[in-house]
Amino acid sequence: MGKLTSPYRWGMVIDLDRCTGCGACVVACQAENNVALCDKQQIGEGRGMHWLRIERFWVGTYPDVRVRFLPVLCQHCHDAPCEPVCPVYASYHNPDGLNGQVYNRCVGTRYCGNNCPYAVRVFNFYQHEWPPPLADQLSPDITVRSRGVMEKCSFCIQRIRRAKEEATGEGRLVRDGEVQPACAQTCPAEALVFGNLADPHSRVARLARSPRRFQLLEQLGTHPSVYYLKGGGREHV
Amino acid sequence: MSDIPVTAKSAGQLNGELLSSLRPPSRRWYLLVLLLGAVVAWGLFAFAWQLTHGMYVTGKNRPVMWGFYITGFVFWVGLSHSGTMVSAILRLSQANWRRPILRAAEAMTVFCIAVAGLFPLIHLGRNWTFFYMMPYPNQRGLWPNFRSPLLWDMTAITAYIIGSSLFLYLGLLPDLALARDRASGWRQRVYGVLAMGWRGSAHEWSVYRKASILMAALIIPVAISVHSIVAWDFAVTVVPGWHSTIFPPYFVIGAILSGVAAVITLMIVIRKAFQLEDYLTPLHFDNMGKLLLVISLLWTYAYFVEVQTTWYAHEPIEWEVFSFMAGTYTVPLLLMLIGNALLPIVTMCFQRLRRSIAVMLVVSLLVNVGMFIERFLIIVPSLAHKNMPFVWGSYAPSWVEISVNLAAVAGFTLLFTLFAKFFPIVAVTDVRELEVLQAEVPLGRAKLPAIVGEE
Amino acid sequence: MKRRTFLQLGGMTAAGALLAGCQAENEKLIPFLIPPDEGVTPGRAVYYASACRACPAGCGILVRVAEGRAKKIEGNPLHPVNRGKLCARGQALVQELYHPDRIRQPLKRSGPRGTGTFTPITWDEGLSLLAGRLKALQRDRESDRLALLTPPLQGAMAELAAGFLRAFGSPQHGTFELLAPDWLRTAQRQCFGAATLPWYDVAETRYLLSFGADFVEAHLSPVHYGHAFGRMRQHRDTVRGHFTYVGGRMSLTGASADRWLPARPGSEGTLALGLARLLLDAEWHDAAALAAHGLQRDEMLRHLAGYDLDRVAEETGLPAAAIAEVAREFASTRPSLAMVGEAVAFQSNGPEAVRAILLLNLLAGNLDRPGGVYPAGGGPGPEQTFSELFPLIAKMRDGGIKVALIQGNPVHAIPPATGFQAALAGVPFIVSCATLLDDTALEADLILPDHAALESWGEVIPQAGGRAGVVGLMQPVVTPVCDSRPFPDLLLATAQELGGKVAAAMPYPSYLELLKAVTRRRLDPAGGSDFAPVWANLLRQGGDFPPLGDSVPDYRWRSDAAFPAPARARFAGAEQEFPLHLQVYPASAFYDGRGAPFPWLQQLPDPMTTVVWDSWVEINPATAAGLGIGHGDLVEVTSPQGALRLPAVLYPGIRPDLVAIPLGQGQRGGGRYAQGRGGNPLTLLAATVAGVAPQPAWHATRVRLTRVSAQGELVTAGHPQGSYRSDLLGI
Ligand code: SF4
Ligand code: SF4
Ligand code: SF4
Ligand code: SF4
Ligand code: SF4
Repeated sequence: MGKLTSPYRWGMVIDLDRCTGCGACVVACQAENNVALCDKQQIGEGRGMHWLRIERFWVGTYPDVRVRFLPVLCQHCHDAPCEPVCPVYASYHNPDGLNGQVYNRCVGTRYCGNNCPYAVRVFNFYQHEWPPPLADQLSPDITVRSRGVMEKCSFCIQRIRRAKEEATGEGRLVRDGEVQPACAQTCPAEALVFGNLADPHSRVARLARSPRRFQLLEQLGTHPSVYYLKGGGREHV
Repeated sequence: MSDIPVTAKSAGQLNGELLSSLRPPSRRWYLLVLLLGAVVAWGLFAFAWQLTHGMYVTGKNRPVMWGFYITGFVFWVGLSHSGTMVSAILRLSQANWRRPILRAAEAMTVFCIAVAGLFPLIHLGRNWTFFYMMPYPNQRGLWPNFRSPLLWDMTAITAYIIGSSLFLYLGLLPDLALARDRASGWRQRVYGVLAMGWRGSAHEWSVYRKASILMAALIIPVAISVHSIVAWDFAVTVVPGWHSTIFPPYFVIGAILSGVAAVITLMIVIRKAFQLEDYLTPLHFDNMGKLLLVISLLWTYAYFVEVQTTWYAHEPIEWEVFSFMAGTYTVPLLLMLIGNALLPIVTMCFQRLRRSIAVMLVVSLLVNVGMFIERFLIIVPSLAHKNMPFVWGSYAPSWVEISVNLAAVAGFTLLFTLFAKFFPIVAVTDVRELEVLQAEVPLGRAKLPAIVGEE
Repeated sequence: MKRRTFLQLGGMTAAGALLAGCQAENEKLIPFLIPPDEGVTPGRAVYYASACRACPAGCGILVRVAEGRAKKIEGNPLHPVNRGKLCARGQALVQELYHPDRIRQPLKRSGPRGTGTFTPITWDEGLSLLAGRLKALQRDRESDRLALLTPPLQGAMAELAAGFLRAFGSPQHGTFELLAPDWLRTAQRQCFGAATLPWYDVAETRYLLSFGADFVEAHLSPVHYGHAFGRMRQHRDTVRGHFTYVGGRMSLTGASADRWLPARPGSEGTLALGLARLLLDAEWHDAAALAAHGLQRDEMLRHLAGYDLDRVAEETGLPAAAIAEVAREFASTRPSLAMVGEAVAFQSNGPEAVRAILLLNLLAGNLDRPGGVYPAGGGPGPEQTFSELFPLIAKMRDGGIKVALIQGNPVHAIPPATGFQAALAGVPFIVSCATLLDDTALEADLILPDHAALESWGEVIPQAGGRAGVVGLMQPVVTPVCDSRPFPDLLLATAQELGGKVAAAMPYPSYLELLKAVTRRRLDPAGGSDFAPVWANLLRQGGDFPPLGDSVPDYRWRSDAAFPAPARARFAGAEQEFPLHLQVYPASAFYDGRGAPFPWLQQLPDPMTTVVWDSWVEINPATAAGLGIGHGDLVEVTSPQGALRLPAVLYPGIRPDLVAIPLGQGQRGGGRYAQGRGGNPLTLLAATVAGVAPQPAWHATRVRLTRVSAQGELVTAGHPQGSYRSDLLGI
């Protein structure tokens, strides 16, 4: 982590106490990133393409039953298990600390998919189609992935790029809150907060210091850029 | 212990018998080749189907992104092992009974590793971009990532293919000369080129002997490294059930186990096909049986260690993987344990059974069935029940994957069949060497020192 | 050598692969081997403000347009209802615009009704067909035999429709909306004198008590209240708002609660009154509030005599201790607020139960104060759209309607038990203004396709979710994709075709002009200033968002309001024959079905069940085990009204005597993604319950379950066993 030279270290905080599990973020991500349409059969085969999923866990039995929602997207690990195993650097680390994915380098070994402990990598088993004129909605900023390549959440890198270009043009750094990935932007409950962890005053950095903070599969030492804030509990009443 | 009854036969007789593979092919041979060719063609069709449709024609999914292809890969790399290993070890330890099976074992290695090397390519999502993984200066400005175990694999396998081909070729050299001398027409020209002007001079023999020993000594570490590296494909990941330090030795032992079993199967087939009952006697099977017993015991120990440490630590997700495997794949799991441990250990303890060709055939085949299952059970359950329980899954191979795996078996057999038809499958010179050895040492009742150390 | 080896190995691979590898399309060229952070930004996009009408909440949207195409919908940060946020349905609006099965031009029926065989015609032909029918009505002096069926209309559109009908001479305007909050307006009128919708200050409350109000997925204004909920939980430094949910089914909203009270269906009003009595008994109530509203504690306790804790516990099926605890918490954690929603309102005793809950807010002193409830949250609106449906249906059945002009999809969204579908079949000429061949369009004789929302002008007045007169403006963000016409312009064009006094009554060249005129009248009643810059500004910011006014109308409990007295809930279907209660609820992605045509929403795992592309029946695991039903089995749900086959979902968050089915699926039409998918639970519902005045009682039907087979073909995003193993993640 020390070798980063960029003034940015993008990160996200996901407040599980705020998240209602509504799923708006999932559709926003799909709309923003040209994520493929998948029919029932494909999803049934385990070949759905969502970059972001809301995991729903049942805890307990009726009537003392609870639900826990857990939005899971690429954790943009600083020690990302998906990166070293890729034989062609298609999964790579960028200077801002993001785990990037170069679709046209990917040869489709799916090794990264196995080694991602968060199972957020989705593989194009199919050549996905957008029946016309649905394709008119596709964003020109993001490539449409062909079959045989791996893809996953990019922290909406095209938005980061736009914000950086704008900031560079004005000779400044990207301001806190200036760039929002699609999921965080739409989240009604503001459960998702995105920003620059390298700036200790950013909202995301402040939230990431919360005592409710934890990280997913922390024990694996992947050092994710995503922090979760614990939810629930009557102890607060 | 008596050894091969070579003394009764003349040199000419011997050469004739041992070069029987060079006789013109029979109708049964053509039939076999046709059948194997058909299976390979079917596999090619299945692969073409996958190429034109997409990886969805396989059974893979998220989270099980690797399946039957990588199972096949690990399995064939394993099989490739013993060929060269057995041959090299026995060569180095000068076990004389090795001589008739050397060639078959070495050829097996080359074909197995060639077949194995195809699987990772078949398995690519975009097979047509396989050259992205090759290190050469290119216009894409891209160098492959040597931190990736897949690159280690590629390097190791390439080295092994080269090494084992050389090993095979080296052993073949005097026999090629022999074949050259006995063949005519285009065959003679081909053998002539391949024999590289071997004349059998003393100098040639002395260099040859040194080279064989050197090759044998070199190939062993390569062989061990290949399967260790294949094990690292798994061991260096963070996948529960894969991330285990015992994997490299465990894989090597498994590889030798499946390789030894495959050599036994081969011996039986060759013995029958080329009527070599005089050269591959129950004694050979007895020795191979003992080897199988030792390796199987080792394998069982390694397996026990792997399961036991996981069970004792009871790390939740690791244990989840094991429970899932035992629950969902009970039948294959039992088959594996029977095939790799129970059956060989029990049967190979008895000399009578070791010397029974039928028993050896059944046991050696079941060991490899068990080994295929073992590879599968290492790969799939871990992926199916990885760290994130919400996206657990399952896997069943599709017709495409099954076809390609069958075609691999057929392809290997086909290569072997063709090889056996065009090249001396029994190492004539090695057998003859023994004869010469015996002639030089007039002991009357033959007690050969070379195998004393062995038994 | 290495290279050669690999070429050898891969040669065979490559040969076949070249074929497949040559299918490059331009989209794939730009980022060829280039990491996305060094990529090219191809041009700049522009944003247009508009409004979402995918549900009555009326959120503000910004549409990102590049290359002349709508690319992405984002929330409008200026809009006070949704503050830059959107729900999943709002995101998917763009799929209405570019739906591959949109009706591309007017269609005339050419086969039997309902078969979906249509012939394309021109707009001239279509308009003259419609006008011909209408002229025939005028000629035969049967002008009152035209019926207009639309969703509830507001503002300029309401004016336009009313003007058209008035000029034509028909009083028939059906504006049914399955989930309309008419019931809440009625209760507010009965309690406080004005038929408004309340605004809940969820963000600032410390104790939220929801009686079946599913504000996360559908109730009143999901994005607004979803946002407020997030703030209630974690926005304040030292306060984390507590949330208790009452309802037999743990809804998506209920899933976020700290405490779940699975009250017996229909007993929620009793629970509210039980809580009221506990409050008054212990004198935890707000005495000043009581006095201000002219209520006496003793008087109220007299009314509440029957609501002792034991009886309430018995009737609701809840532990007495939990009820007492909630009463204490609700009274002592101020400000608190109680919400009431459809799960309560659509019981046979819903109206009284709703009033009981409104009263609970009064008792705790939650009215008109920060963190509480503002009864005058939204302007007045219709109250009787359901009961008004029956005379219309009767008239249709008796041949009293000859032309039905329909916008929306009532054939799917009205429970068949009302007789609507059967009566509609008897109407000689049905005109549908739809964007897709939905269930209603399939029954039509003439289809005059409507613009998609992103192609239309319009006005979206949020039904709730604010306290001031917010008006959102819709503007076209792209040139129309199909040869369609906006519904209001169709009315205007028809009026022109009809000529005479109808044309004279509607002098607007286009709906846009009317919209401008209405807006101008609203903003600038005097009409003095230059309107052009005002209009431009409205378009730029997406509508008129006046700041909160200081004067809040003073709401007082009506002195003549009867004390709420919910009767025992009644249900259609005998308990012996139909042992289980049925609750139908809007699937969070589909609402009442209008989200179902869009693949993003079909593909979105249902938050609670993680089911995709389907509908299902939720069963308590114990109940399912008793009936031999496993997860994913196909079951038949039978009610006195009908039967439906659906896959079973074992749902730990539902009472054992209750089953639930989401609304939205089971469409015959609606394009390739919706049609023939799942089942429509409305077919199971009794329209009314015996002995209860006509009111929507969608939760008052009983059912029984029978297992059919193991082939439910259920697909869930979550692993059935893994979904119970959060212990492995330590969350
Ligand atoms: S949009 Fe926000 S609240 Fe809704 S599921 Fe996503 S993270 Fe949770
Ligand atoms: S979450 Fe997975 S895909 Fe993302 S950086 Fe970490 S290991 Fe890689
Ligand atoms: S699937 Fe693609 S990104 Fe992943 S390891 Fe293989 S080549 Fe790299
Ligand atoms: S950050 Fe962007 S790419 Fe990642 S999940 Fe959110 S919307 Fe999708
Ligand atoms: S809540 Fe309703 S109005 Fe708001 S975005 Fe969702 S569907 Fe549209």
